[in-house]
Amino acid sequence: MSNSKLYKGSLTTIILKLLNENDKMYGYEITQRVKELTKGELKITEGALYPALHKLEAEGLLDVEVAKVDNRLRKYYKLTETGTKETVNKLEELAEYIKTMQALVNPKLA
Amino acid sequence: MKLTESQIQDLYAFTRQHFVEHYDLQTELVDHLANDIEAQWQIQPKLTFEDAKNKAFKKFGIFGFMDAIDQKAKAMNKRYMRYMWTELKKWFELPQIISTIALFLLFYITFSTVYIATLALVFFGIITVWCTYKSIQLNSQFRRRKELSNKKWMLEEMIYKQAGSTMFIFMSQLFNVYKIPENYGGNTYFLVLFSLAFTVIALVNYISLEVIPNKAEKLLNETYPEFSL
Repeated sequence: MSNSKLYKGSLTTIILKLLNENDKMYGYEITQRVKELTKGELKITEGALYPALHKLEAEGLLDVEVAKVDNRLRKYYKLTETGTKETVNKLEELAEYIKTMQALVNPKLA
Repeated sequence: MKLTESQIQDLYAFTRQHFVEHYDLQTELVDHLANDIEAQWQIQPKLTFEDAKNKAFKKFGIFGFMDAIDQKAKAMNKRYMRYMWTELKKWFELPQIISTIALFLLFYITFSTVYIATLALVFFGIITVWCTYKSIQLNSQFRRRKELSNKKWMLEEMIYKQAGSTMFIFMSQLFNVYKIPENYGGNTYFLVLFSLAFTVIALVNYISLEVIPNKAEKLLNETYPEFSL
């Protein structure tokens, strides 16, 4: 990853956005999807992903489902109604942030 | 190549070695490590299980599973407090509010006498003895449950073992109860607050040591879809 600090604040937004596009996902799948979408540029670390997921679950933004896959149990996360609403807010916030940074870094484009 | 049942069990043991005590978090981490190992085998089929496991674990960083454990405990605590709050609110709605008012009046009337300090101590004693008795009972219930299932769930441990913690905060105030001057019985503001405090303490202890443990199965099933699997 080029600079993990810059991405850190957006982790929850990334998770919410992914869950908004996919009905339900499990932890490992999320890390892989991010890697795939960003062509390896952004790697969500395991050490940060699970704490973030558990926090979102406690806040009532995510709900869990468990299924037996192969010979083990798999925990799936999905958005709750509040979670879906919060995703819209978070994405707007992020867009606003990107716009502000754009104006600062590259005034000609803004 | 897929992991065998014994390798899955090995991963469970591995999470336990790395201080993940609770089955709920163990399960999630086992699935993650298993997925990672299987993905590694697709690229390097000759890699041993041990090497692949260690490589998968390294990705969690120098703190290993610690952050996940901390955050999970915080999240569960929040959930427990939410259950607690939901139950407490019920005592201020009909029909339970009648019992709440009766309890408040009982405290208020008895504390209005000159024997306030003695009576406060008596109530204090009754609550403490009951709480201690219930805590011991719940603790041994928890041990039996663990022996039966060989699994420990984070919320289960909170319900059975942390339930008595409010009592200890209450007990630490014993010193203040001793100091109540007799003439305080005539001060209405003090009396209302003091009786209210006793009412809330009695309710909170009753809920955490009786109501919530009685609902344990329901709450655990609600929290963990895998609980009855």
